[in-house]
Order: sequence, then structure tokens, then C-alpha cells
Amino acid sequence: MAHALQRIWNHGRAMRATVCPLSRPFSSDALVQLQPGEIGKVSGIPEEHLRRRVVIYSPARTATQQGSGKLGKWKINFMSTQKWENPLMGWTSTGDPYANVGDAGFNFDSEVAAKEFAERHGWEYVVKKHNTPLLKVKSYAENFKWKGLPKTDGN
Amino acid sequence: MGLGLIASRAIRPVNFFSSSRFLLRTIVSKPELQSSAAAADASPEPDLPPRTPVGGARVHFTNPEDAIEVFVDGYPVKIPKGMTVLQACEVAGVDIPRFCYHSRLSIAGNCRMCLVEVEKSPKPVASCAMPALPGMKIKTDTPVAKKAREGVMEFLLMNHPLDCPICDQGGECDLQDQSMAFGSDRGRFTEMKRSVVDKNLGPLVKTVMTRCIQCTRCVRFASEVAGVQDLGILGRGSGEEIGTYVEKLMTSELSGNVIDICPVGALTSKPFAFKARNWELKGTETIDVTDAVGSNIRIDSRGPEVMRILPRLNEDINEEWISDKTRFCYDGLKRQRLNDPMIRGADGRFKVVSWRDALAIVAEVAHQVKPEEIIGIAGKLSDAESMMALKDFLNRMGSNNVWCEGTGTQPNADLRSGYIMNTSISGLEKADVFLLVGTQPRVEAVMVNARIHKTVRANNAKVGYIGPETDFNYDCQHLGTGPNTLKEIAEGRHPFFSAISNAKNPVIIVGAGVFEREDKDAIFSVVETIAKKGNVVRPDWNGLNVLLLNAAQAAALDLGLVPESSNSIDSAKFVYLMGADEVNLDKLPDDAFIVYQGHHGDRGVYRANVILPASAFSEKEGTYENTEGCAQQTLPAVPTVGDARDDWKTIRALSEVAGMRLPYDTLGGIRSRMRMVAPNLLQVDEREPATFGHSLKPEVTQKLNPARFKSAVENFYMTDAITRASKIMAQCSASLLKK
Repeated sequence: MAHALQRIWNHGRAMRATVCPLSRPFSSDALVQLQPGEIGKVSGIPEEHLRRRVVIYSPARTATQQGSGKLGKWKINFMSTQKWENPLMGWTSTGDPYANVGDAGFNFDSEVAAKEFAERHGWEYVVKKHNTPLLKVKSYAENFKWKGLPKTDGN
Repeated sequence: MGLGLIASRAIRPVNFFSSSRFLLRTIVSKPELQSSAAAADASPEPDLPPRTPVGGARVHFTNPEDAIEVFVDGYPVKIPKGMTVLQACEVAGVDIPRFCYHSRLSIAGNCRMCLVEVEKSPKPVASCAMPALPGMKIKTDTPVAKKAREGVMEFLLMNHPLDCPICDQGGECDLQDQSMAFGSDRGRFTEMKRSVVDKNLGPLVKTVMTRCIQCTRCVRFASEVAGVQDLGILGRGSGEEIGTYVEKLMTSELSGNVIDICPVGALTSKPFAFKARNWELKGTETIDVTDAVGSNIRIDSRGPEVMRILPRLNEDINEEWISDKTRFCYDGLKRQRLNDPMIRGADGRFKVVSWRDALAIVAEVAHQVKPEEIIGIAGKLSDAESMMALKDFLNRMGSNNVWCEGTGTQPNADLRSGYIMNTSISGLEKADVFLLVGTQPRVEAVMVNARIHKTVRANNAKVGYIGPETDFNYDCQHLGTGPNTLKEIAEGRHPFFSAISNAKNPVIIVGAGVFEREDKDAIFSVVETIAKKGNVVRPDWNGLNVLLLNAAQAAALDLGLVPESSNSIDSAKFVYLMGADEVNLDKLPDDAFIVYQGHHGDRGVYRANVILPASAFSEKEGTYENTEGCAQQTLPAVPTVGDARDDWKTIRALSEVAGMRLPYDTLGGIRSRMRMVAPNLLQVDEREPATFGHSLKPEVTQKLNPARFKSAVENFYMTDAITRASKIMAQCSASLLKK
């Protein structure tokens, strides 16, 4: 065991001696300004996916539910329609690596965060307007308000 | 049985004790809310992080001086006087559980789920019905509130069947969600559950009435929003049932919305029954094109298939509702689709060819005819991009006979105020008198009709209607059937004229069906006379509206799709139909060459020589302008069928084959071309009001034709290629339309 550690230590020292003069001193310029699209390039994303058109939006409340737990998130829609039903099993195949990323993978807390993310990955984005409800005064007493004579057409 | 009962009674206290730990849990399941509430308890000072209202809601203050301050969990909020406790909580960002309360319906206060604790109140209060008073201290997550809600939940679940695994609402059920937070892990109810006979509400709404919790949202929706008195409640206590009193279908064009508002699985979608689970679906937020309103929708798809369509909130356009046509037309997207380019052979049968061959033939024929013999007609579902490309292409070919179906032969595209809804859809709520001229909003634009209904209900607005006999779901005065009545009003001889001139905010709505009339200019000039005399158009109020019929119309007129000559069909040799199915081609010469580019094998295909497949609205990005002049964009939800392409791409390719290359080859390129022609089409999601009024119009010399107005929509359920291909819409027209 000690022998093995010694070997690694020596190896590390040798490596540092060779690498250090070439490597950037990371500590000195920690705040590196990222160029748009740089993250995508660095992480090895294929060229054709570096320039995508995406839509940033905040999902509307589901009409079927009243809960608000899923509201206020921002998402990216890749407009991926490159999919087809696989003739073998009937499952859905896709030719787009981002097909399921936008819906399932991304959740941003704010519009700005989503925009920044898209910029860093070099995506051309459009932000959809988020429609919000308008709260108006409602009252229970409204039910019993006099609204004129009842209609006479027997409806 | 007896032994079992005794045994269960003996066991019950034990159960109760074991679940007491459960009772002490704080009720809000969101950790962030919990922590902030805990902070509130620790420090009574309002040193709290700012909270945002639920769903980013805006608060409408009618009078800023009427604001009162209440405290929700120690957090102070300013709300308008008269708001309920539940709304105050919503402004404070606290979501109160509820079943019967719906923000767009009247308050019933019968489910009791929204109980909260209010300081100095001896009992928990139903927050949905209790008006908030100044300085009220509302506590939403105290043990009292939690216990109250748990009690309510236990009663609700008493008679609710345990069939979540086979219920279509499963996964998007309010009762399911809230029972996760407030439900007990075991039932104490040992009697039999009640069961209720299912009702037949027609081909759209499936009922499983045993699941009903009597929230009466559907009853209130039917009478308040849909304007039909079909649904009601029968019986009392455990015999209480929702029903239609007598065996009757729900004949409303908004009936599909009861599926959404039902908090449980009692009312679900019949066409969607057992087709998919909601967590398998991918939602794409897009725009509806089946009418000119441009309702905001979400297309839910699974893989390459559209599974259902749901409404999406937009206060200015469709609020939270959509029409049945919008909701259930989706099965038409899978049937009768054109998926390959085809050429009609000598035997009259279509043969599948490659895109290259099809485009080569079209380009060749287009060059053989004289430029003035070329015409292009855009269909009612066309997007602005493809109409721009079609117009540019035909102009390059030397022809200027391009128009959009439904705008008539001589459309007036010069003044934008002459073809859009100047009041805006939400602006209709301020009106107090409506004059409907040759329009039946109930079938032409359901969401506009819903607004009118809302206005009539809210401030007793008066409605006068000129046109053929028709059904209205609000009080309406049938003034006459033809333009003569209009003339009487304009001359002040009709009693309705005084209603208009005495009104504060009068609204005149002219139907787009009038566009097809020969004397439309005369009709519009009479309408403008009424507007002038009745003070309908003022600097602060524009009540003169045109209600369009089709999704493509407004954008087509904005882009200037106006035919050069009104009878160009008579001499046409080359006709480019871009999804146009309702053009009268009887006068067309027999040797004319017809190219049909579209997504459905509908009427336009019958005479076509070449078919070029295109993508439907659910498969492409396109700009549509709605009847109030608000441009909106669709987003692709599913892949196209077969070898189909976007309309504008096909035209762009054809222009290259024909040697008249259009200068754009991306969506961005064609949109910047659109910006040059109609910049308002690029102002997405924003209503662009018309700048110039009717006063700039030249004098009209046309004579008024006393012929009656015709109804523009014969069958509400089948108005375009998609809805005509839809099986559900066929069922609706068979069972719901009056014979």
C-alpha cells in the first residue's frame, strides 16, 4: 500500500513539473468571461446542434388542475419534431439528441437564467410572452344581488 | 359483519392515535413556503422575502384608494376592498386547496375545502366566500386549518370510488393531489359507498357520476359561461346528483370546458378516454387556427401523435376556455392527410411522384401560361409566412391575382380598421350595447360570443341582431334580417338607434360574411353612418368592429393579398390553391391547371392536377393574426406526415425550379420580408391597434341590396379541412346540431 502511494506521489510530482509551465494558473483569473456558444463547443456538442433555434417559455397552468406547484418555471422548447414511430415495436424513435431534453431536463427559475443558458450554448432563442391571470374582486354576496326582473322567455 | 364492525371500532382509537403524528405535520407541502412560514413565526416583523402572487397573477384595482391590508401567515399584502380571503392568500403567494371555487365562476362555497383560520374567529372560515377585512390575520397552515381540511377530505373521500387506476383524470386530479396532502392513509367509513347512474351528455363529455363530489363547477359553468341551462343539481344529501333533469345532451359549443374544470374524474373527455395518461404527454404551447380568435392552446402529444388539445390562459383572448371545435378537431389531423406529392395521370388517377418531378411539372406549366392567367388562392388555415411567399412568387411570375378565401372578390385591405376588431376582445367587456350585423358569433367566433355573454350577464348589456333567424345564448333582440333594418337604424327611424346613441360604450360588430356580398361597401358605409351618428368611434372608445371568420384572413389583408381583377377565375389557366377548399371553381375554364398544396385531401383536391403535401398547424411554425389584430405564432408539436413540407418552403423551392428564386431561405429571412410589408405581424403576442379610422374612406356610390344576410357558417363543427376530416366533429354535427 505504502509503496503504491509513494509511486503515485512521485508520478504526480513528475507530472506537475512537466505540465505546470504550460497550464494556466487557474487561481488568478477565476472570472473568465464566456463567449456565446463557448460552453457548447467545449463540451463537445456536434456542430449542427450548436446553432439551434429554441423557444424559451414559462409553462401555463394546466387547465385541468388548480394547483400552482409547477408554475413559475421557465423551460426551453427545442421544437424537435424529428421523431417517428419505430416499425418494429411501435415505440417512438427520434433523430434529435435534444428531443427529450427541453421538456424533462431543463427547469430555470427565471427568464434571465434560461436566456443565459441558451446564450452560452449558442442557441438562437425567442422568448414567449408569459400570460398571467388577472385577479378581480369577487364576492359571495354577488349571488344574491338583485339583477332586475327574471327573464320572461321561459328559458 | 357485526363482529367486523365491533372489531373495527375496537381498533379505531388505536388508528387514531397512530395517525396523530400525521396530524401534526405542517400542511403546506412546499418546503420553501414552510421555511418562510417558520421565519414568520420566529420574527413577527415583516422582514420576509417578497412573495409573488400565485401564477404571477396581476391584481386589478378598480380604485387604488380602496386598498386594504391583510396579513397572510404574518405577511402583509395590499388587496382591493371586497376581495375574498382566498384571493388575499393568492396575492400573498399561498395556494389554498379548493374544489368548488373557480376564479372565473361565481362563488358557491359548498366544498368547504378552503377552510383557513382567521384570528379572533371562533371557527375556521371558508376562505372562498369570506370577504377579507382590513387588518385580518389569516393563518393558512395552522393545525386548526389542517385538521379542518382533513375532516372535509375524509367526507369527500367517503363516497368517492377508489378507481384512480382506471380513471382518466388520474395524474391531473385535484382530489388526488389534495388527498395526498390532507387525506388519511385509511378510511373509517364502513358503510357502502353510494353509486350514481351515469348521464349521457353527448359525444364529447364522458360521465362517471359516481366520482362526482358535487362541487357544482360544471353547473355554474354551463349557466354562467356557456349560457345554457342544461345542467343542474337534483336531490339532497347523499342522493344529490348532477344531471340534466331530463335525458338531454349538452348542446353548447363550450361544453368541452367542463372536462377541464371538473376537479375529479366525473366529467372526462370521451374521445380521449383511455387513450393516454397525462404524464406521458408532451405539451406544446401554441395557437388554435380553427377560427379567427386564435385561442391559446396546448397541444399534448405522445410521440408523433396529437393526443388532445387543452386551453391555455390568455386574459385578452380566450381567458381559460376553448370551443369544442378547437378542443376536439385533433383527430382530423390524422385522417385524410396528403403525404406525398402526386400528379393526376391521363386516366384521372393520382400517381405518387417525387418532389423534384412534381415541382418541375408545376414550374413548366406556370411558364406556359400568360402571367395574367395565373391566380393564387390562400386557404383559411394559411400562415402569414406562406401567404407572403405565395404573393411574392406569383408577383415574380407576373401575376397579381392573389387572395385569401373568405375575403370576397374586392376586399378592402387599405384601412386596417376596416377589417379587425377595433374594440379588442377583452374590450368588449366594457360595452353596454351591441349591434350584431350579419354575424352569429355563437358559431363564427365562440370565444367572442362568450365575452358578449359575459358582458350581458355582468352589466345587462343590450344586444340587437340583424341577420337570419338563429340561436343566441343570451337575451337578444332580433331587429331584422336584411340591410333595410340597418338603413332604418342609420336614419334614426328604428327604436334601436336610440339605444345606440344613449349608450356609453356602444359596439357594432359586422360579420365577415358580409365581405362576400356584392354591396358590401354600401353596407359598410351605412354601418359607418350609424357609428358616426351614434358616437361609436370616439378618441377613447372604438366600437366599430369586424368579426373575421378564418385564421388566415387578418394576416392576408395585412399582407395585401388582394386580387387585381374580381373575375380573374373566369379566364385563369393556372390556379395555385394553397389549402383553399371553399373557392367556387365552377367558372374556371376546363383546361385550367390546378395545383393544390395542402395537408388534407379535401374539396380542393377534386379538380387538382398536382398535389403538393403540406404540414398542418400543429406541425409548423407560423404566424397567425387573430381578428383583433394580435399576431401569434404556432410552434410545431408533432412531425409532419409523410413527405409533407411547410407551405412557404414548397413555394420557395418551386420558385427556384421556375427560375424566379425568392430571396429568402430561412424562417428568419421570410419574417424580415414580412416586416417590410406588415411590421405588426412581427409584434408577436401583442395587439396592434389600427392607426387610421374609417373617416379616410372614399365616398361609396354602391346601392344597397335589400337581400337578407346569409349565415356565414352552416355547420359550426365542420368549417375547414381539418374539422371536416375529423370523426368527432362528424359525430357532433350528427347529434348536436338541430335538424
